[in-house]
Amino acid sequence: MSDRKTSSAASVHFIPGRVDGQRIGSRILEEQIQQAVARGHRNLQIEAYGQHGIGGRLWRASSEEVFIQITGHAGQRVGSMGFPNTMIEILGPTSDDVGWLNAGARITVLGNAGNGAANAMAQGKIYVAGSIGARGMTMTKHNPRFDPPELWVLGSAGDYFGEFMAGGTAVICGHEAQNPDNILGYRPFVGMVGGRVFFRGPHQGYSQFDARLVPIDNEQWDWLCGQLEVFLDQIGRGELLATLSQRQQWQLLVARSPHEKIARPTIAMDAFYRQAWEKELGAGGLIGDLTTLDRSPVAVIATGELRRFVPVWENRKYAAPCEATCPTGIPVQERWRLVREGRIDEAVDLALAYTPFPATVCGYLCPNLCMQACTRQSGAMAPVDISRLGRASITAQLPELPPEGDRKIAVIGAGPAGLSVAWQLRLKGHQVTIYERTKTLGGKITAMVPENRLPQEVVAEELARLKAVLPHVHLQQPLQSEDIEQLTRDFDFVVLATGAQKPRTLPVPGSERAVSALDFLKAAKQGRAKPGRQVVIIGAGNVGCDVAAEAHRLGAQVITLLDVQQPASFGKERQAAEAAGATFRWPVLTRKITARGVTLTSGEQIAADTVVISIGDVPDLDFLPDSVAVENGFIKVNDLFQTTDPKIFAIGDAVKPGLLTDAIGAGRVAAETICDLLQGVTPQTRLREMIPRQRVTLEYFDPRITEFSDLDQCGSQCSSCGTCRDCGICEQICPQHAISRKQLKDNAYEYVVDENLCIGCGFCAGACPCGVWDLVENSPME
Amino acid sequence: MQPEGSITPSTLSVKDLLWQISWNKDKCSLCGKCTAVCPVNAIELGVFRKRIVQPPADLLKPPPAVYKTYYGIRQKTDPAYNCVGCAMCNLVCPNDAIMPCRSDEADKQRFQIDRGGQPRRRGGRRNAPGSILDRMKFIRISMLTDPALDAGRHEFELRTLLGRVLPPEENLEFLKTNGWIPPVREIYPLIIGGMSFGALSPTMWEGLQMGVAYLNEVIGMPVRISTGEGGCPPRLLRSRFLKYVILQIASGYFGWDEIIHALPEMKEDPCAIEIKYGQGAKPGDGGLLMWYKVNRLIASIRGVPAGVSLPSPPTHQTKYSIEEAVAKMTQSMYMAWGFRVPVYPKISGTSTALAVLNNLTRNPYAAGLAIDGEDGGTGAAYNVSMNHMGHPIATNIRDCYLNLVKLGMQNQLPLFAGGGVGKSGNLAANAAALIMLGASGVQTGKYIMQAAAGCLGSESDRCNICNIGRCPKGITSQDPRLYRRLNVEDVAQRVVDVFLSFDTELKKIVAPLGRSTSLPIGMSDALGIDDYNAARRLSIKYVV
Repeated sequence: MSDRKTSSAASVHFIPGRVDGQRIGSRILEEQIQQAVARGHRNLQIEAYGQHGIGGRLWRASSEEVFIQITGHAGQRVGSMGFPNTMIEILGPTSDDVGWLNAGARITVLGNAGNGAANAMAQGKIYVAGSIGARGMTMTKHNPRFDPPELWVLGSAGDYFGEFMAGGTAVICGHEAQNPDNILGYRPFVGMVGGRVFFRGPHQGYSQFDARLVPIDNEQWDWLCGQLEVFLDQIGRGELLATLSQRQQWQLLVARSPHEKIARPTIAMDAFYRQAWEKELGAGGLIGDLTTLDRSPVAVIATGELRRFVPVWENRKYAAPCEATCPTGIPVQERWRLVREGRIDEAVDLALAYTPFPATVCGYLCPNLCMQACTRQSGAMAPVDISRLGRASITAQLPELPPEGDRKIAVIGAGPAGLSVAWQLRLKGHQVTIYERTKTLGGKITAMVPENRLPQEVVAEELARLKAVLPHVHLQQPLQSEDIEQLTRDFDFVVLATGAQKPRTLPVPGSERAVSALDFLKAAKQGRAKPGRQVVIIGAGNVGCDVAAEAHRLGAQVITLLDVQQPASFGKERQAAEAAGATFRWPVLTRKITARGVTLTSGEQIAADTVVISIGDVPDLDFLPDSVAVENGFIKVNDLFQTTDPKIFAIGDAVKPGLLTDAIGAGRVAAETICDLLQGVTPQTRLREMIPRQRVTLEYFDPRITEFSDLDQCGSQCSSCGTCRDCGICEQICPQHAISRKQLKDNAYEYVVDENLCIGCGFCAGACPCGVWDLVENSPME
Repeated sequence: MQPEGSITPSTLSVKDLLWQISWNKDKCSLCGKCTAVCPVNAIELGVFRKRIVQPPADLLKPPPAVYKTYYGIRQKTDPAYNCVGCAMCNLVCPNDAIMPCRSDEADKQRFQIDRGGQPRRRGGRRNAPGSILDRMKFIRISMLTDPALDAGRHEFELRTLLGRVLPPEENLEFLKTNGWIPPVREIYPLIIGGMSFGALSPTMWEGLQMGVAYLNEVIGMPVRISTGEGGCPPRLLRSRFLKYVILQIASGYFGWDEIIHALPEMKEDPCAIEIKYGQGAKPGDGGLLMWYKVNRLIASIRGVPAGVSLPSPPTHQTKYSIEEAVAKMTQSMYMAWGFRVPVYPKISGTSTALAVLNNLTRNPYAAGLAIDGEDGGTGAAYNVSMNHMGHPIATNIRDCYLNLVKLGMQNQLPLFAGGGVGKSGNLAANAAALIMLGASGVQTGKYIMQAAAGCLGSESDRCNICNIGRCPKGITSQDPRLYRRLNVEDVAQRVVDVFLSFDTELKKIVAPLGRSTSLPIGMSDALGIDDYNAARRLSIKYVV
């Protein structure tokens, strides 16, 4: 009331809002007020008739206080843009937006205020003796240069109170509230970012996202009490001070700081899972009844059973390509391993377990299919040279022979196949008796292979070794079918290794004038053959090439090989024939053989002193008992070389024409089968699958090596396909240190994986030079 | 990359591949994580030779030349192991040493991925970036013309109706003569489209369901989710959460015996029944859940033995016409829940959509029509079906809506649009565009997979291996080793995040139109596009 006393003491300048019964416009009234202030009036009384914006912008009074009392009906925006020197008193209710953009004026409303009270107010105070409408105290500011604005309401706030409130203090006393149940109105404080609100009385919620309740501390309470007294005095309701000064009735609400804003009043998802989801559905949630599988989260890189892939050490699971392609089945890579380990003698000796002719065949006569298949070839590198090891095998030491047992096997034919099967069976301790038609052991090797193809002492040495092992040999024993039948009764098994003795002839006139390759080569070896100057050989295979080379040795000068198709000859034989100056002609067909030579179907004459027919040989099977079936001129056998007679086996050229190594390999398979049968075991093929070459890593080897200087170098350059080299690379490359080498008994070892460390990256498989490691899918989890 | 030796027509170099692994030798620590994580075994440890020749400066001696080997990451070029660009290698690499890069030209592998005569199949999407929906603008911004609303301040209740809304007088007549009126649901306008239990992993499926339950029960948004065709876990059928679920029936009829058995024990009716006749991503192509995805769990939910492939034919085997389909299936589905549950068909986008719609308008049982456009996603389909079959959703939905307008039934038969909603990340804008074109709501699947579970697919043929069960994020795999990478609660939380942010964005779009409680369905005067032909075709404004 003190202000009012002051104002009444000064002279009052009255401005009516209606002149001559006519309401004056808001613009005119504003002009009159501004002029009055400019003229020095500091105490104005306005009789308002709804004019807008009364009492704002009174800066012309400079720092002097201006008092404005409004009677009648104040319009909208009383005191808008009010200055700090302005004191406005409305003697009744007021319309909307009182104190809009107030920059310091004190506005007292002795009644209710409409909507938008204090909207965007930045400084100053608004005292309302009643309640206010919607959107009060919205968009208020607090400029740090000035005191914060204040809005005091004796009653209640309307809806959407304090929206986007950014500063200042609002006090809602809740006395004689328009809505006693909700003194803050509907949905207050949405978007509130600053300021505080004291309130007294019930409310029905506010924006929790933006505002929060805080306890009133003593300093705040003291402030509130002090200012409350001022407010009540200002609106003439000092008697309410005691009623309103009860601390427990008041609450204080402040804006949340940006860090305190919460997205929404919610519960955490894990709490929802427990409290709502599992409670309704049961333990384990949606499918807890259908599976017991753990569904808890796992790491992307997992170990143990959670690995998608697991490494496996597949040592010796696969055969190296050399071993897999060797018809004899010699584990070539194993011999190089022994060489690497410095066990050269063992590497040499090992061959004798597979063949009685390691030097003769591997060292000289074999086209070495193992080298053709060598994985190094797939990297355009020279294959490891096995012939060196083969030639060294001449000194191979026999293992100690087991004593001869009482199981007896008869072998018919002492060629490579027969000797192979006999050799194998003897090494296994069985009694073997050999029946050979001719005077010598060795079959083709001794009878037909030209002497220049290998040193004769090599053959002699290996035959001597054979004779020492196989004492029961009967030479010059041609057998008839009755003899074979008798043998099946006297022996546990009979193996037919009689070879292909009958030269195939050509059904053309004069073929009787020609000599067979077999006969020619035998005669040549015995020094009986006299081929003359011109020789025509019909059939340009490897045997034909041998004939050409021998004919050249015996003086022939013009040598022609004929064939109906591109000649199948290859390797050393072909080279020897070409070195002899032989001419290869194909495709040509022979019409007849005359005393002068060969006449082709084209009519061409090729002169010849000797015509040799070399179109293959077929077995002479007159001696076969009826129980042994024949197919296409050869003895019919299965994969294990069993004939249709369960006691009789057949191997070598009698079964199918092939290389020496084919015959030797057949002997070994037959021997293994016989051993199985003698032991009552179901026989089976023992061939391991060949390793996929891409598993082998050749990058460790120097591609510049095209020739090998010695056995050691051969050994070091062998990638040991499928068999662990024990190089330790896997141990080192494993990023998890999951791989370790485990020493076993008898010098054996293995590499093992600690599944609790392994992540299944497959580095071991990628790095392994030998292709021993593989990465396989882990077993499914269900 | 190929060793010496022969080549075949399918022999490819890294340059020929769509995704090429860029590997940095200096950064690589050889930790093995990339090869361990690669879903398709496209990379492996390689051993490399390095020849170093170092001539001395004065050339007085011959230069020493040494061969060394080093280890690194090698990309396989066999089409069977082609990199799919998922970049999981990059995700796990501690040194950022590896990353797949997309070829700068058309790849050659596409010509080799039909070996064995089997054309490419994959999951994912159409691999066609861009969308007409993305180009639409909302051009009606009310400021002083209408009471503009404030998306942040005003209260919104964005809801749509699923069900046949008959005019009041017809409703009364209907009730009088039939004692029944069609059921209508008030739901949120963004529906999670059908993705089956089986196509999705258990963790993903449960995460979606729980997220939806949370949205309903904690946030108060009536979000609904379609089961897709793979049945529904028995517990869900018997829970109150069934209310939030749209049960889908499709041509494979998987799991429906379990649903029928659960009928007597249901606490709540499902939201609706969706009869799937087609899928936008692969119209005319059926579904096939490969045997290796059909483990014991999937089998038990679908009511089949484990370890067998499960075909869903492209068509319902005994339905030969719209009339028959509607008569048989819609009515039977209504009967199952005592005519309390709305039943609507879902078709793939097609030039024949109007024929379907017209039939539905004459059938008061039809609760709506869902149309799935060509940009939808799928777990498995033929590449050709995905890339070249289908109909864009925009014109389909627009034509259908305008047809309803012609019939005066635009407020009676709600249309739901799907297929590529949010394909470029603009979920709310696409949804709002479709709503203004005439959809009552939209269905989305792919966006949810990407946003809620981190699906790596893109429109650039990235990943796309949903069909082989090796989803690196565990979204579409039935292998616990993979799906346990996904946490149910995390997925649920992301679903909630997606809907809340969608809600805000949708408000930002509709508030300036002055809409807060009714969706601007068909409010096409608010739509503009900078393509004259498109504007004309869609009857919206052409703006430049």
